[in-house]
Amino acid sequence: MPSSTSVVPDASLVTEKKRLDAGFFKKGIAIAIFSGMLYGFYSAFVVGAQTRGVWVDWSATLAAGSFLLVFILPTIASAVNDTCSAIWALIVTVKQGKFRDFILTLGTKPGRIQIAAAVAGGPIGSAAYIIALSLAGTIVTPVAALCPAIGAILSRILYKQKMGPRVVAGILICMFGSALIGFTGLTGDLGPGVLPGILLALLCAFCWGIEGCVGGYAACMIDTQVGITIRQCTSALVNLLIIIPLLSLFGGDIAQSMSLVGSAFMDVPSLIFFVLGGLCSYLSFMLWYRGNSMCGTALGMACNGAYAFWVPLFTWIIVGVFMGFDGYMLPAIAWVAAVVMVIGVTIIAVNPLDFFKKKEA
Amino acid sequence: MKRPLNFALLKYYTTVDEACVDDVMDALSDEFSTHRAFKRDKMIESIKTAEKNGLLDETRFDRDAKGNLRIYYSASSEQKDIINSYIK
Repeated sequence: MPSSTSVVPDASLVTEKKRLDAGFFKKGIAIAIFSGMLYGFYSAFVVGAQTRGVWVDWSATLAAGSFLLVFILPTIASAVNDTCSAIWALIVTVKQGKFRDFILTLGTKPGRIQIAAAVAGGPIGSAAYIIALSLAGTIVTPVAALCPAIGAILSRILYKQKMGPRVVAGILICMFGSALIGFTGLTGDLGPGVLPGILLALLCAFCWGIEGCVGGYAACMIDTQVGITIRQCTSALVNLLIIIPLLSLFGGDIAQSMSLVGSAFMDVPSLIFFVLGGLCSYLSFMLWYRGNSMCGTALGMACNGAYAFWVPLFTWIIVGVFMGFDGYMLPAIAWVAAVVMVIGVTIIAVNPLDFFKKKEA
Repeated sequence: MKRPLNFALLKYYTTVDEACVDDVMDALSDEFSTHRAFKRDKMIESIKTAEKNGLLDETRFDRDAKGNLRIYYSASSEQKDIINSYIK
């Protein structure tokens, strides 16, 4: 926005101001992209955790396709991860001297909105994502990556955030990149878990879209660190105290589920992975909120959406290469899709016309 | 401290016509000088985040006595209403 004073600012001042604005915008984009990469590590560690310790025994002894194995165990994995993540968030909040802000914010309107958004994106969205991952593998990730479109549309409607044709085109390109990976996964033999997995991933995309939009807006009033601490604590508590007992009522036994939760927390080989996964998910969501509020929800979510590529890549590196499990090799099309997504993000972030303008100048 | 720092920052803009980061910090220093996030760069980031999300508008910019870039922001009556509706 130009200066409103009658004095025309000198050229060096204008340049310095432009540099500051561009720096803030680019920092927001870098943060959002980095949050997507950390999301890849978070997913890889959660998948890796479920291949170790008691999780291996449970997979071997529980009936294949049983409600417990398909729905409750992945939700427990999500709850353990969110609890680790909440502890990381609380540690950092205390270290940054913001614990009092955290307590004060809980009772305010933005705080309550943040809690509601966290319920949608945390226990519901994340549990749906982890169950979908368990049912159908990493091909559900691109489906979940549709959340930027939902978030961008909601932001446009609710908060009148501007979204020009260039941004829309970039988002569509990013979504096309995500879809490329998804459709490749569908070309092979479809397992019985693929369709419910994709439906759950769609539910997850909707929940995350709402969270990115509504939570992102509340987060611009709340300090990001405080906001993410509220998010992770809400997610962990609701998962442990509501979602797992509720699922157990449908197709399990609450006492058995709670016993499994206890065993999961006591199992050191897998807990190490959950602690790392919790750290990555805390950082990923914190940077996601921060990126969204720095460069707008639509752009922030589109940049973060490259996790559709990072998840299979890091899962392959950590679970496939380092842990030696087969079946996590990255298909060639994933690399093509990654390039497509990078192009999409670049188009959103940089106006190609600026290059011509610079040449003219 | 009655409010979290970010809330106090936004609330301050509902009480003035326009302010730069130094004005905000002067106004809040009594209450928040010991707060670890009460630093100029962090406060600038909070103000710019609020601007990016439509809670504040940039009004003008100049140089202060030391020659540093100084940007002023304000909240319109509609923005003040939004802030006041979220933060009591």
